[in-house]
Amino acid sequence: MQVTLEHVTHTYQPGSPFQSTAIEDVNLTIREGEFLALIGHTGSGKSTLAQHINGLLAPTSGRVLLDGQDIHQKGYDKREVRRKVGLVFQYPEHQLFEETVAKDVAFGPKNLGLPEAEIAERVQEALNKVGLKDKDIAEKSPFELSGGQMRRVAIAGVLAMRPRILVLDEPAAGLDPQSREEMLQLIYGLHQQGATVVMVSHSMDDVARFATRAVVMEHGTIAMDGTPEEIFRHAERLEQMGLDVPSVCKLGIRLREMGLPCPEDIFREEQAMEALLALWKEGKAHGAE
Amino acid sequence: MALNNITLGQYYPADSVVHRLDPRIKIVLLIAVIVAIFLASNLLAFVPIAAFLVIVTRLSKVPVKMMVKGLKPLRLILILTFVLNLFFLQGETPLLNLGFAVIKKEALTMAVHYSLRLILLVLFSSLLTLTTPPITLTDGLERLLSPLRVIHFPAHEMAMMMSIALRFIPTLLEEADKIMKAQTARGADFETGNLIARAKAMVPLLVPLFVSAFRRAGDLAMAMEARCYHGGEGRTRLRVLKCQKRDYIACAVTALLIVCVVLCGKAY
Ligand SMILES: Nc1ncnc2c1ncn2[C@@H]1O[C@H](COP(=O)(O)OP(=O)(O)OP(=O)(O)O)[C@@H](O)[C@H]1O
Ligand SMILES: [Mg+2]
Repeated sequence: MQVTLEHVTHTYQPGSPFQSTAIEDVNLTIREGEFLALIGHTGSGKSTLAQHINGLLAPTSGRVLLDGQDIHQKGYDKREVRRKVGLVFQYPEHQLFEETVAKDVAFGPKNLGLPEAEIAERVQEALNKVGLKDKDIAEKSPFELSGGQMRRVAIAGVLAMRPRILVLDEPAAGLDPQSREEMLQLIYGLHQQGATVVMVSHSMDDVARFATRAVVMEHGTIAMDGTPEEIFRHAERLEQMGLDVPSVCKLGIRLREMGLPCPEDIFREEQAMEALLALWKEGKAHGAE
Repeated sequence: MALNNITLGQYYPADSVVHRLDPRIKIVLLIAVIVAIFLASNLLAFVPIAAFLVIVTRLSKVPVKMMVKGLKPLRLILILTFVLNLFFLQGETPLLNLGFAVIKKEALTMAVHYSLRLILLVLFSSLLTLTTPPITLTDGLERLLSPLRVIHFPAHEMAMMMSIALRFIPTLLEEADKIMKAQTARGADFETGNLIARAKAMVPLLVPLFVSAFRRAGDLAMAMEARCYHGGEGRTRLRVLKCQKRDYIACAVTALLIVCVVLCGKAY
């Protein structure tokens, strides 16, 4: 299962004085099983791109292919795309509407026209996956929950459709540190269980920790595409785009500026730990001389 | 999606004489033009009004396409007005025999007359909202209504409510668009099905929309209070309105229009 964007351009409100081209000539293939992080400055077109992956927005020009089939061609059932590609919007808790959590999560599967028994099973499974196992939570009103819990319910609502590809637009935005960490672990867990994940993120630390591939957007085009190692090697280029590098990379840069022999390709905490230990041991050896 | 074709109440930014006119004058002149439209007693009298519309539109630099877009939501009413008047008005001179009905000359004239009246009303009103930012518009309205304070008419509160409402229309539309997309991503279908199915499909849109509207209203009230908002008493203005030469010229031209309309009406 893979999604390919071919020369995708999207212009909002074409022909009006407010027209603006949000993404231009984007070529991207999302491969099975990857954890793709979509990064870029505010307004660079990440959300617009994300909405093309499940066919919510149609490209002004270009094609979106799901397993080689153009999803916008005549006669193609859009529901097929919605089922295979789940999209979690930014602040998804704002879309909750049902009386109870269980009913809200059931909304997607119901729209797929599944039988009652399967819906109930999927709802339970989805709630388990997002860590809301409690029976009482399922019967509560979603509006009684905390912000973090509401977001979990919203994500469960998408998971209940059992998508093969999960696209999340800034899933950790506006959460407290603990909920953030739980949310990221949840997404990481889903990826480990075999889901293909596309995550829009502003946190380079998160990208460094979880992503297998990073795509950097700038002014509606793809500026960089590669593994996090490859991307974060270009700290200066990222800075020009108004972006950051993981804090571990910054530490490395500072150490090198101080003239210490710190390797260039560290961007995860474990790697930093090793490098620092090495430096420390070396320092001690020198001190002993 | 379907939510970005609403022009009525949408400002078209441009630099033109019409944009720069004093909002109070523009409102008063709109009322005057509406009076003129109702004074037009025959089709000839619509000629000066239409000419006036063309001139003002050209001056305002608003594209004709934007103006016509404002008529779109009203096309059903327009067609109904025309057809009903055409078939049901009495008259003496038969014009066309369709077999099931005879169209009379007087009926046709009246049908055209009523439709034109409606079209002109909408176009002129759109012109006002297209060339005046909503905030300026309510500002003008507040000033026009402020003499009514003597009879305890809450002019400031009304204007404040209106400007807040206007300010949040685009926000709510944007929000509605976002929620619609989010529910569509969960397989919701807003576009097909019969009337009942469609009404039901609105629930997943309307509930979150209301929730967010109330949240926004609460936040806004809090923010206003935090900045010591206490109503209109003793409030000074950021933009002080002052009539200028162009405003007087606009008044004179509109007065001339009314005279023309009345004269044309008397021509028969
Ligand atoms: N519904 C819309 N109508 C018109 N223009 C839009 C719309 N949505 C986005 N845009 C414009 O498209 C451009 C890209 O927006 P997009 O939301 O894709 O950016 P983003 O990278 O997701 O930004 P952020 O990090 O702030 O979420 C922006 O310039 C924005 O103003
Ligand atoms: Mg975004």
